[in-house]
Amino acid sequence: MLRFLARRFLWFVITVSTVMTVSFFLMHSVKGGPFDGERKLDPVIEANIKARYHLDWPLWRQYLQYVGPFNLDDQRALAAFDEEGGFALWRSEGADGEPTRAFGGVLTGDFGPSFRYKDFTVNDILEESLPISALLGVLSMMFAIALGVSAGIASALRPGSGIDLTLRIAATGGIALPNFVIASFLVILLVFLIPLLPVAGWGTIQHMLLPGFCLGLVFAAYIARLTRTGMLETLSADYIRTAHAKGLAPRTVVMRHALKGGLLPVVSYLGPATAGILTGSLVIEKIFFIPGTGSHFINAATNRDYTLAMGVTILFTVLVYTLNTVVDMAYTLLDPRITLEDE
Amino acid sequence: MSDAHQDSRWSIDEAELARLTKEARQFKGESLWSDAWRRLRRNRAAFLALLFLAAFGGVSLLAPFLPIPSPKAISLRDEPGTPEWLWSVPAAPTKAPDRGAATTRSTRNLWNDGWRHRSTVILAADDEGAAEEARARVEETSGRGAILETYPADEGDGLEVYASVPMLEGDAPEVDYRATDFGGTATCWDVSTAGADEPVGAVHSLRLQSADGTDFDAAQVSGWSVEARGRSVRLFLGRAEARPGLGDWVVAYRLDAEPGSLPTAVLLDGTLLPGSAAVAWEGTPRGAQTVDAKLLEGVEAMDLGRQVAASLAASPIEGVTYLETRHEDGYWEFKGLVGAMDRALRRARIATFGLWQTGNWMGTDGQGRDLLARIVWGSRTSIIVGIIASLCSLLIGVLYGAFSGYMGGRIDNLMMRIVDVLYSIPFIFVVIFLITVVNEYRTELEDQFGIDREKIFFLVIGAIYWLTMARVVRGQVLSLKNTEFIEAARVIGASTTRILLSHVVPNVLSIVIVYLTLTIPAVMLFEAFLSFLGLGIEPPKVSWGLLAVDGTQAINPIKIYWWLVVFPAGAMGSTLLALNILGDGLRDALDPKLRGKN
Repeated sequence: MLRFLARRFLWFVITVSTVMTVSFFLMHSVKGGPFDGERKLDPVIEANIKARYHLDWPLWRQYLQYVGPFNLDDQRALAAFDEEGGFALWRSEGADGEPTRAFGGVLTGDFGPSFRYKDFTVNDILEESLPISALLGVLSMMFAIALGVSAGIASALRPGSGIDLTLRIAATGGIALPNFVIASFLVILLVFLIPLLPVAGWGTIQHMLLPGFCLGLVFAAYIARLTRTGMLETLSADYIRTAHAKGLAPRTVVMRHALKGGLLPVVSYLGPATAGILTGSLVIEKIFFIPGTGSHFINAATNRDYTLAMGVTILFTVLVYTLNTVVDMAYTLLDPRITLEDE
Repeated sequence: MSDAHQDSRWSIDEAELARLTKEARQFKGESLWSDAWRRLRRNRAAFLALLFLAAFGGVSLLAPFLPIPSPKAISLRDEPGTPEWLWSVPAAPTKAPDRGAATTRSTRNLWNDGWRHRSTVILAADDEGAAEEARARVEETSGRGAILETYPADEGDGLEVYASVPMLEGDAPEVDYRATDFGGTATCWDVSTAGADEPVGAVHSLRLQSADGTDFDAAQVSGWSVEARGRSVRLFLGRAEARPGLGDWVVAYRLDAEPGSLPTAVLLDGTLLPGSAAVAWEGTPRGAQTVDAKLLEGVEAMDLGRQVAASLAASPIEGVTYLETRHEDGYWEFKGLVGAMDRALRRARIATFGLWQTGNWMGTDGQGRDLLARIVWGSRTSIIVGIIASLCSLLIGVLYGAFSGYMGGRIDNLMMRIVDVLYSIPFIFVVIFLITVVNEYRTELEDQFGIDREKIFFLVIGAIYWLTMARVVRGQVLSLKNTEFIEAARVIGASTTRILLSHVVPNVLSIVIVYLTLTIPAVMLFEAFLSFLGLGIEPPKVSWGLLAVDGTQAINPIKIYWWLVVFPAGAMGSTLLALNILGDGLRDALDPKLRGKN
């Protein structure tokens, strides 16, 4: 297990640093700065802005500053005395005498200032928006699992029946249709024709139902397919026949004996599903005007707010990688036939 | 060994040989493909999906032949029009084109597939009566009904007459720029006004002379526009006196360095051309470059304007002067083979239906464009994106997977690790990031490499969808590698490339086809997704993704334009559904062992 984790961690470092480096240099290779607008800036103002975001530094120095943790901002002090006269290793004073954090950069979890939202750092924006996106993601994952697993079981119990056929067609439809189309159908139906839910916004549980459902639907469809296949395989296994022969109630057999084996493919799908939900949230957040990380990312990408876009990319890479690792570990715990050393 | 034939065991009589050959022929098994085809036909859902896709593909391919309205002609309605289940008798267009710049620009790429594609003959008339006469002449010349719009002329008390007729083949001339005997030099200055550091304009000064030394007459020029692509500059000069069959002039030259900014003034033999800003520049301007220039004369092929002008020249109408002709096009031209086919289909359409076309069967969108036509034309974009990007991913995936699987050992391990790493990156974010960055370089890429946004789009999508393909192919190759026929090829001394290309790849083809069928819908979904975010296909081009986006944006509580949501979503959903079903069916047909597995 430790070896597995160590190896994963090594690849994690490689992955994240590749993503970070490539996107950093891509972003800085773009001609013109992020502040080039319609109106020409006064040279003094432009120089000041560039100095504020360190754009006047050579590229390697900007990169080191971005990655961290180096004190490139203030070369004089790697450590300084704070207001009470105590010695603090991580603090230093800026030009205006305000205490600033000497050590920044991605390695210390600092993604730097946002280029567009002048008074916010990327961390501020992420802190504000990530809980919203996380809530939406968890909600839709719950929708997906609940809906997908129950539909999968229902169709696996009577393969070839009308229920099975209907559910399979619905699942294929759910996979085939883009989620924003499904969302617009549902908005017409549940908001305008039958006014049950609010159109857009965020805050109450009513606001969350429709986006969560739309986001989770595709994954529910995939999970239903996987559950069906897994359950069909498990239900024909010998130990299920034994369980039936012992005289257990059919419900007990399905829920306690078959489900455990039948859900294994679903567990391995949860990793990709998480990545998919993050992706899907871009669209869903835009449709329902949810102030989550996804909509911030899209705005950042189209408004050339590079630090924010990079921050989100790196953060989500870390998130997806970690979740994938967790899912792989969970998989081995659930299925003793598989060992991590096979990797 | 040559004695083997004499060996009694090898001796065989003719009759016996014939019998054995016949028997062997009877035993010849079905090929993998015919077997798969049989199984696919038995799978009713998959077969229906195949038929549906074939029909849809046919409609999409035959789009120029279908008597549907133009997908891009705008009629300025206030709101989307409801579906009308009618065939409409074509009417003349109802709105004259914008009155604008005086120059006639290059009029390539025009089509004549219906009544919204029109030629507008512009004439000067003294009064209403003369205008009516002019209309009659235009109708007579073209043999089609014309709609008339008159405006007071900018100067004097006459009228400007716009006579619009539906466009047919021959109305749309190709402009051919031919060299004249005028040649000379062009000088380009980057100029700046006092105080500013950066150049704020460019001045192009031309000196054109014919072979015998006479200067080009600047008074003949009524207007100008410049098309500068990198360092090559085409300066369009409009004729002050429009002449039938002759379009504008072009002065073509190539500068030593790119001009820093847009041209603000053009001097011809020392005379400032009309419409040039009077920019004062210093005596020794920076960045002046003098290069050779060539004057080309635009010669238009036979077109309606020329016919009308010729007719007016032959029998003039009192108080009517021919000014110019403009054309408005109908849809997007494809290049190469598809373009040639489209032209043939367009001719077939005119031969079959004339100007007759359907009404707005699926309604119109907010700008009055026909939804059915947009869905049909959008399917072309979506299908092309799907197929090209999938082929792109196929190429990368198969080569990568086959190489990795074939090499085995450490190389295989490393290559598959890389795939794993790429898998764990949330690609959409990287792709969006990439597309935004690449967008900054659009003009450079277009000018220098001829790569437009769509091509970048294909490449980017193709480049991220190869991962699954690589994994699958590698798995197949690993299991194929140790089979006898590969061993045999290796023993004979075939090279690695040869073994891979002629033995391994054909054997993994079946699984590749299955994954290709499943990649196409995924790519189409992705295109829709990116278009939704405004990073995919750009208007005025159309794709299903964009249509679906239009649909979602049309949702509002006041009025529900259901057709804008239902029809594009239906087209997209049914196609993607069919592709998914077909992919599953193909997988079952080609590899029965995998039946029912995901």
